Amino acid sequence: MRLLKLTIASLAGLIATAAPLFSQAGEHAATATEAAKPGLLTVDGGLMFWTLIVFAAIFTILAKYAFPLILGAVQAREAALTKALEEARADREAAAKLLAEHQAKIEAARGEAQKFIADGRATAETMKSTMLEETRKQQAELLERAKRDIESEKSAAIAELRREAVGLAISAAGKVIEKNLDDAQNRKLVEGFLAGLKQ
Amino acid sequence: MTPNHLLKTLLLAVAFMAPGTLHAQAPAEAEKKDYIMPHVLNGHELAIPSFGHGLEREIHLPRWAPIQIGGLTLDLSPSKHVVMLWISGALCLLVMVAAARGAAKAHAAGRPAKGLAGAVEAMVLYLRNDVILPNVGHHGEKYVAYCLSAFFMVLFCNLLGLFPYMATATGNISVTATLAVLSFLVIEIAGMRALGMGYINTIVWWPRDLPFAVKAPVTLIMTPVEILGKFTKPFALAMRLFANMTAGHIAVLALVGMIFTFAQMLNYSPAAYGAALIPVALSTAIMGLEVFVSFLQAFIFMLLTAVFIGQIRESHH
Repeated sequence: MRLLKLTIASLAGLIATAAPLFSQAGEHAATATEAAKPGLLTVDGGLMFWTLIVFAAIFTILAKYAFPLILGAVQAREAALTKALEEARADREAAAKLLAEHQAKIEAARGEAQKFIADGRATAETMKSTMLEETRKQQAELLERAKRDIESEKSAAIAELRREAVGLAISAAGKVIEKNLDDAQNRKLVEGFLAGLKQ
Repeated sequence: MTPNHLLKTLLLAVAFMAPGTLHAQAPAEAEKKDYIMPHVLNGHELAIPSFGHGLEREIHLPRWAPIQIGGLTLDLSPSKHVVMLWISGALCLLVMVAAARGAAKAHAAGRPAKGLAGAVEAMVLYLRNDVILPNVGHHGEKYVAYCLSAFFMVLFCNLLGLFPYMATATGNISVTATLAVLSFLVIEIAGMRALGMGYINTIVWWPRDLPFAVKAPVTLIMTPVEILGKFTKPFALAMRLFANMTAGHIAVLALVGMIFTFAQMLNYSPAAYGAALIPVALSTAIMGLEVFVSFLQAFIFMLLTAVFIGQIRESHH
């Protein structure tokens, strides 16, 4: 802070030392008409003052009514450009976020689908095996029943045949020995024979 | 102007460039009239067109009583260069504001600016985008208006001086010195704003990375150099512009004066008209060069101001 004050003081000192030069110049200009003619390097205070005034007028008026009109479009374009860049960056970030979200969603959906497919396959497998099992069982049952039917038919046929054979034998034997033998006695005899035959 | 008068002009032109030869050649010339220096210097007379006798007539500008501000005496009466400043300032404002409006209207209509508006727009855009902003550095927007104003004011003053009956205000050291002082203030204030306390380093040279034994003597040597450097820059700005504008005018006037030297040498014979073609061609060429120099010097004044602003804003020791 002290250094800054020192700087300002030294600048002020410089201006103060330059002031006599200005007044000299002014006096010089005032007496210029009669005596010394101004040279190439004469400092003219009045002209310096007018230069300041003219420059100040040009600066204030051009800075307000000329340059903004000409540079307005450029500055607007520059501002629009920076804004567009800013927006593009924001949009890119949002897009990246959305993409990540979507990828996560797709990943989840794929997992789910996989699960569904696996489930379906397992169900199909179990269904197939149970159906096969059932068919096999039914087949076995039918076979069993058929066997049983054949067996019973066979024994019935054997009994029928035996009875027929007994009748035929009796009638044949009766024809042979019709006279001597009464019916009851002979029957007992033949049956005894047949029993012996059976064994 | 009689041929005799014009001849004297020429002699003075030669005298201005080689004073030694005048004494040797023309001791008989009793009455000498300087036509060149009054034209280049400031005065309280203004040349206006006249067709009575000769092509110009002198009018005397009003003299106002000098005003006293403290110990300062200011003569604010409109001298020749003050009037030129007014005219060129008014022209500058008129042309620039009209061009800016034209450009803005063209932009609003969605078409590129044409003619004067297009030319001024191209200049302003080029100077801002390719000269001022790259030199001033980051956030240089604040200095664009100052640099452009200085450029156009100097340009209009320079160009006005090329017209007949007009004078070049920028060929006066007081005008260029005032503009240079303004540039100096802008440069130093830019330094203070950009560097803060570091601005002191642009006055007192104090490198941090040197041992004290080296630093102390170097600072003693470099500090006056730094301070001197601050003032030589605007001094050079003022001198360059003033000298360029004055020298060009003296060259043109000297070449015109040569027409009459040749006339005298050829005893005003018809051959003198033929001989006059050489100085006419030369002065035409110099006038063309002057048009270019008018733009160039305005550009250099503005460019160096921008460069110095950029330098002081970047100077971190």
